[in-house]
Amino acid sequence: MSTREQNERIELLQGTLDLLILRTLQRGPLHGHAIAKAIEFRSDEVLQVEQGSLYPALHRLIKRRWISAEEGTSENNRRAKFYALTSKGRRQLAVETGKWDKLARAIAQILRPGEQGEA
Amino acid sequence: MTRRKRMLADLEQDIRDHLERETQDNIDRGMAPEDARNAALRKFGNVMRVKEQTWEVWSVVWLEQLVQDVRFGIRTLLRSPGLTVAAVMAIALGIGINVGIFSVLNGLALRLLPVPRAQELVSVNQIFHFQGRGDRLIHNGANWFSDSEYQDYRDHNHVFSGLVAYEPYVEANLRDTDVRQVLGTVASCNYFDVLIEHPARGRAFVDSDCRSRGANAVVVVSDDLWRGKFASDPSLVGKRIVLNQTAYTVIGIARPGFTGTEPIPSAFWAPLTMQEALEPGIDRLSNDNMSWLALLGRTRPGVTIEEVRADLGVIAGRIDQQHSGPRRTTSLAIHVATFFTSPEQRSFLIPVASVVLAAFALVLLIACANVANLLLARASVRRREIALRLSLGAGRGRLVRQLLTESLLLSLAGGALGSLIAFWSFIRITQLVTSHLPHDFPPFALNVAPNLHVLAYAFTLSLFTGIVFGLVPALRSSRPDLNTAMKGDGTSFGVGKRNGRFLLNALVGAQVAVCIVLLLAAGLLLRGLYSAQTLDPGFEIKGVATIFLNLEKQGYDPARATHFMQRFRERIQGLPGVVEVAQAECAPLSHDFSGSEFAVPGRADTVGVEYNHVTPDYFSLLGLPIVRGRDFNPTETHEAPGIIVTESTARRLWPGQDPLGKGLREISGREYSVIGVAKDAEVAHLGRLDTNYLYFPAGTEDDSRSYVLVRYATGFTNVAKSIRDAGRSIDPGVSIDVTQLEDYLEVWRAPSRIVAALSGALGALALLLCSIGVYGMVSYSVSRSVRDIGIRMALGADGAKVMRHVLWQAMRPVLIGATIGVALCAAVSGVLSSMMFGLGTHDPIAFIGMPVFLLAVTLVASLIPGRRAMRVDPMVALRCE
Repeated sequence: MSTREQNERIELLQGTLDLLILRTLQRGPLHGHAIAKAIEFRSDEVLQVEQGSLYPALHRLIKRRWISAEEGTSENNRRAKFYALTSKGRRQLAVETGKWDKLARAIAQILRPGEQGEA
Repeated sequence: MTRRKRMLADLEQDIRDHLERETQDNIDRGMAPEDARNAALRKFGNVMRVKEQTWEVWSVVWLEQLVQDVRFGIRTLLRSPGLTVAAVMAIALGIGINVGIFSVLNGLALRLLPVPRAQELVSVNQIFHFQGRGDRLIHNGANWFSDSEYQDYRDHNHVFSGLVAYEPYVEANLRDTDVRQVLGTVASCNYFDVLIEHPARGRAFVDSDCRSRGANAVVVVSDDLWRGKFASDPSLVGKRIVLNQTAYTVIGIARPGFTGTEPIPSAFWAPLTMQEALEPGIDRLSNDNMSWLALLGRTRPGVTIEEVRADLGVIAGRIDQQHSGPRRTTSLAIHVATFFTSPEQRSFLIPVASVVLAAFALVLLIACANVANLLLARASVRRREIALRLSLGAGRGRLVRQLLTESLLLSLAGGALGSLIAFWSFIRITQLVTSHLPHDFPPFALNVAPNLHVLAYAFTLSLFTGIVFGLVPALRSSRPDLNTAMKGDGTSFGVGKRNGRFLLNALVGAQVAVCIVLLLAAGLLLRGLYSAQTLDPGFEIKGVATIFLNLEKQGYDPARATHFMQRFRERIQGLPGVVEVAQAECAPLSHDFSGSEFAVPGRADTVGVEYNHVTPDYFSLLGLPIVRGRDFNPTETHEAPGIIVTESTARRLWPGQDPLGKGLREISGREYSVIGVAKDAEVAHLGRLDTNYLYFPAGTEDDSRSYVLVRYATGFTNVAKSIRDAGRSIDPGVSIDVTQLEDYLEVWRAPSRIVAALSGALGALALLLCSIGVYGMVSYSVSRSVRDIGIRMALGADGAKVMRHVLWQAMRPVLIGATIGVALCAAVSGVLSSMMFGLGTHDPIAFIGMPVFLLAVTLVASLIPGRRAMRVDPMVALRCE
């Protein structure tokens, strides 16, 4: 692993992992490993998730009843636990996304005062 | 609950699946299976920690962990029972004595009055702030009230359901088969009603008892008096008893356990209106400028103490405005009522209590250092266990918590044990102390039984202790160097682990320093006690009986008193066995002083001089020679201008001159001249000769209240009996208390004796704990350096050399600590010597003896494990690790 590569990877902000999980599950139920892969893949591998930290986050979301867990079988016919968004989670995703946009805009505005617009 | 269980049950499987998938992905990407697996694990992070964090999501984690920690802690502690017992005992000692002393202080200052619903009672005190010179007469309490002030507060407040006033400590002679003085109370008529303290027999006061002055001679007697003096006579209510020459009808007998509202128990209660009858010649009721009544109010339901302050403050302000004379403002001190609430008592109790608590806390500190040492020592033995847990991924915080739980378990167990011992023993100790007080100390109502305050204190102290001695070892041992620890490298002395040894040594050194301070304090006090016992006060104290006669109190007018005194002295003179009789205003060392300011011609300032009025035979009776000039002659009385001064007073007032014929002028303007010089003696204050002292001739004015001194040649008991009989033959109702002059010495010695015993016990305890500490440290370091010793012996060192090495290692921190302790104590011994008389600040015997004693004890404590080091077999030692 070269130094350059490391520099380009970004540690996740506190709490953003929850949001990413919710967003990832919007398309449909996934098992744990798939969620980790999806987050990595869709961020062009910029976001580096220590995969283990996914589990406490998943359980936190289950406890809040934003997602649910159900038994299922995976692509290659293996038994796996699938996590799915609940209706409460869906609402929460909207709220959290809104918050995130606001935050991102605000930060962008401070960092680049000239360039308005694209968030 | 089930959701949680289900979720957690699958977690392990989920993580395994996850890792397998990731490994498979990696293999698909072309990695070797081994590398693929490792890469997956790397990417996943610490599996153990992920599991823990996930569990934490679901559980009331701290509780679960607490249960876990407690379980594990108990198991660990039980695995090394020797250490556990040692630690618990050390803590039990430390906490026990602290809880004990606190329960005494609690009994003194925090415990509510022993009456129903005591939390509603507040004591009211006033503090005057005068602009310029204020004057106020004070009887018993400077912060108390006059009768008119009491009535004002009683009638105009809106916060009390009742406000009582009382004058405590009223001396009264109870005419009885054996006439004795008792202390009683005069109280407002609502006293018993407001306190909700209904007499066990008969009735309390009613309003009509207080309607007019001196008219209603009724009295409620205490249960103690009823049992002690009236043999529990069931028909006492309704009978008459005579107090200070007035007959009172007994209307009630107080409940057993009710001793009044002051620390010294009251024997009887009479209505306020009987004050002058009980104290003949003194009319306090009409004096609006005298502080003599203590006030207690019972607050109405729901009224807070702030509301009481505000409401009474208004009344105080109005009284200030109406007050004639110098302008003043009054502030009120209002507290929940206990035995010690007045500002005066607090200002005395708080410094004393803090000194005492500090001394006791020092012992606890030694105990803590001890246990910390033990734990540190054990933590090193457990290094491999801890290293293993850390390398398996246990968080450091979690580990510290685990170790702290263990120390808290120790401290709570120790605290519980110590408190139990304290509760049991301190009740007995206080009984012992109070029963050994000299005979004219009044009995003291001290309840040291534990209550909520004491339990809370014990618990807090235990928690605090556990954290104090547990935190350092816990922090240290959870940060080991994993590599060396896992290799099981036996540490040797001198090499490596400087840090650890330094901490151990510092703890031992600190213990020794604290111990030296306590021992030296005890040593100084014991030396002071010794010098007090052997002290020569400068006059012949043996074989003298003293009789204190307060005839005024007993209802005599001056003429009758003089008549009685003359006949009394004549009769005693003629008694068999009596050698000499003298009369004085104050008996030597009787804690009865008179003093005044005198002007010395030729000097600008005035000097304070204590004085005594004595008859001529006073000097020969006490063996005080008149070294210059002459003694008084019997015709000289108060009007005579001649005075006798002591040698040192003469030297101070007229240095290098002949004092005879020199003049002194009293503040009143009266002139005196010196006719004689008496030898110095410690007649006023034991151990002090630096006060100015002079003698006036006695006169008939002294007869109302004076001491008669009798030198006798036979047994005291016989003489005392015949003296009492002589008095009764003149007046059967007179109260005569005969004591030995030596007993007065006892009053001076008692405080130093009690303090010396207390500090001696503390010092012994500290020494015990300290030697355990040294022993523990040495035996630990010996056991840790067996290999080292083995090598030394293999290289040719003999047992003696090894022993020297071990001892030197042990004594170094002890010596450093002792030096610090001695220096500390030298700095603070000034404080001690100002509190106790006859105490040398730098008494050489104490300052050399105590450290030597401590060094000897610690040397023995390190010899025992040192012998073990000598017997190390090099072959066994080198092979064992």
